Amino acid sequence: MRDVLSDLIVAAARDDERFVMLSGDHGYALFDGIRAERPAQFVNVGVAEQNMIGVAAGLAKVGFRPCVYGLAAFVPIRVLEQIKLDLCQSRLPVMLLGDGAGLVYSTLGVSHQCGEDIACLRPLPEIAVYSPCEAAELTACWREARAADHPCYIRLGKADQPTVHASPLADTAPVFTHRTPADAGGVVLIATGSMVSPCTEFARREGVACVSVPRIKPLPAELADICRSAARVIVVEEHAGTGGLWTSIVEQAARRKDAGAATPVVESLALESAFTQTSGSWQQSLREHGLADDQLAARLRSLIAASERNGA
Amino acid sequence: MSSSIGSPSKVQSDFDPRALRRHVLRMAYRGQSVHVACAFSIIEICAVLYGRFLRYEPRDPAWPDRDYLILSKGHGVMAMYACFYEIGWLGDTDLDNYFKDGTHLRGLCEADVPGCEVTSGSLGHGLPIACGIALGLKRKGSDRRVYCIVGDGEMNEGPMWEALLFAAHQKLDNLVVIVDANQFQAMGRTEDVLGLEPLAAKFEAFGCRTIECDGHDPTALERALSSFATPCGRPGAIVARTLKGQGVSFMAGDNCWHYTRLSDEIYGRAMSELS
Repeated sequence: MRDVLSDLIVAAARDDERFVMLSGDHGYALFDGIRAERPAQFVNVGVAEQNMIGVAAGLAKVGFRPCVYGLAAFVPIRVLEQIKLDLCQSRLPVMLLGDGAGLVYSTLGVSHQCGEDIACLRPLPEIAVYSPCEAAELTACWREARAADHPCYIRLGKADQPTVHASPLADTAPVFTHRTPADAGGVVLIATGSMVSPCTEFARREGVACVSVPRIKPLPAELADICRSAARVIVVEEHAGTGGLWTSIVEQAARRKDAGAATPVVESLALESAFTQTSGSWQQSLREHGLADDQLAARLRSLIAASERNGA
Repeated sequence: MSSSIGSPSKVQSDFDPRALRRHVLRMAYRGQSVHVACAFSIIEICAVLYGRFLRYEPRDPAWPDRDYLILSKGHGVMAMYACFYEIGWLGDTDLDNYFKDGTHLRGLCEADVPGCEVTSGSLGHGLPIACGIALGLKRKGSDRRVYCIVGDGEMNEGPMWEALLFAAHQKLDNLVVIVDANQFQAMGRTEDVLGLEPLAAKFEAFGCRTIECDGHDPTALERALSSFATPCGRPGAIVARTLKGQGVSFMAGDNCWHYTRLSDEIYGRAMSELS
């Protein structure tokens, strides 16, 4: 996914003189391409993220199309007020890339981990929130964000997860990564970002459906239909259980005006409300939250078995 | 006064500081607003900028070729409104209905008010945005200039120093930072709350070409601003020595006028001093 991102950045710089890439002294090899080919369009603003958002706002005010890169722990978390006031209030076309979202920086500790970015941005007016799982989704999200006339945040989680989409995507609508003959009336897993790959693998193995959600805000309306047609929905995300994809889906279901049919049961598998305690691999950090591959599969199996026992 | 849209419209007329202060009092009284003293300390700075330096279009605050005045210390916004009234961007209705239900002028600088470029009620935002604007204008090869008024109390904020490092590193010599060094912040003397002096030396050390002057002396301000007309590869800084509440005898240097509303009697006394 990072190679594709680097290519997208270089292509944007090449195609659009207004494109300026800003980094708060992070990114390393990600910016080798643009620094070699379009050095003037890359600005390392230094370890000064608050100023970086203000600078991006100022550049956008005079016609540039800035893209701001940081680790998700810093962009958006450290600079949330700058995003709200400098970017969102004036609806400026600035792209934000939050890298290493979730528990990717498992060895570096809590300062570099971020399970709250979606929840922090969703209530802000004007900003769109994307959470691509791999290169095809990233490309679709990037294309949409580049064309937008408002701020956009692209959440970048674990970058080397297996590919799930066989071909490029036309847009950022929810996309089935596995379908079954019994989609309607059966179990549907809904996942975003890093959790799409393990959920898809589980779905293929166990014969349930799986949907990936690359755009979380605004939440696509189709998700409500998918939920209504399923007997049981399980939402899986490497994000806090509050304020992320599960919350978005439950809110959407509750707000449906044509309610009458029962609201579907929507389960949540997400990060626990706890900081990680141990170092080690990404899987080890996920294990603290019950989301390591084997734990995830076991929990999904158990939820599905319970729903079958209850006659769903 | 030049006025044709599409051509530089540097206004060569002085704004009367006494009139500007009367506009501020009128708004503050009608709206029962606080922050009178925060506006009074930047009256001469705004008067000289709008009167002598800024290129703008009297009929269109969003004129695309304008110079930028960024008020980073949003608490002084009534001084901006007073200038907007003189220019014609605001009218009597705006001043007399300040803070009435449904009106659009707020008590702090808001980006959606024509003429106000940024939202700066939360301090530490305006200068970083001014740096981005200055960088963008330089990249375009534009000769448009960026002026940014910051508060001395505002210099408590970390992003202000981040922005100064950036401005010097990027050689933003189309940017002039004007510090309203009025010696007070919300709850006390700036030197007692979080000492900043020697302020001019700090700006110089951060890479700005720095001039210190009397911020209530239009001639001194004009001389200081003129000295930045020729780009020198460094951002400019003016430490304007001012007094919070300047212009009304019983308000000058009394920090209670940061947060006190005007009674009928006080309003009358203050206005009579400025008549």
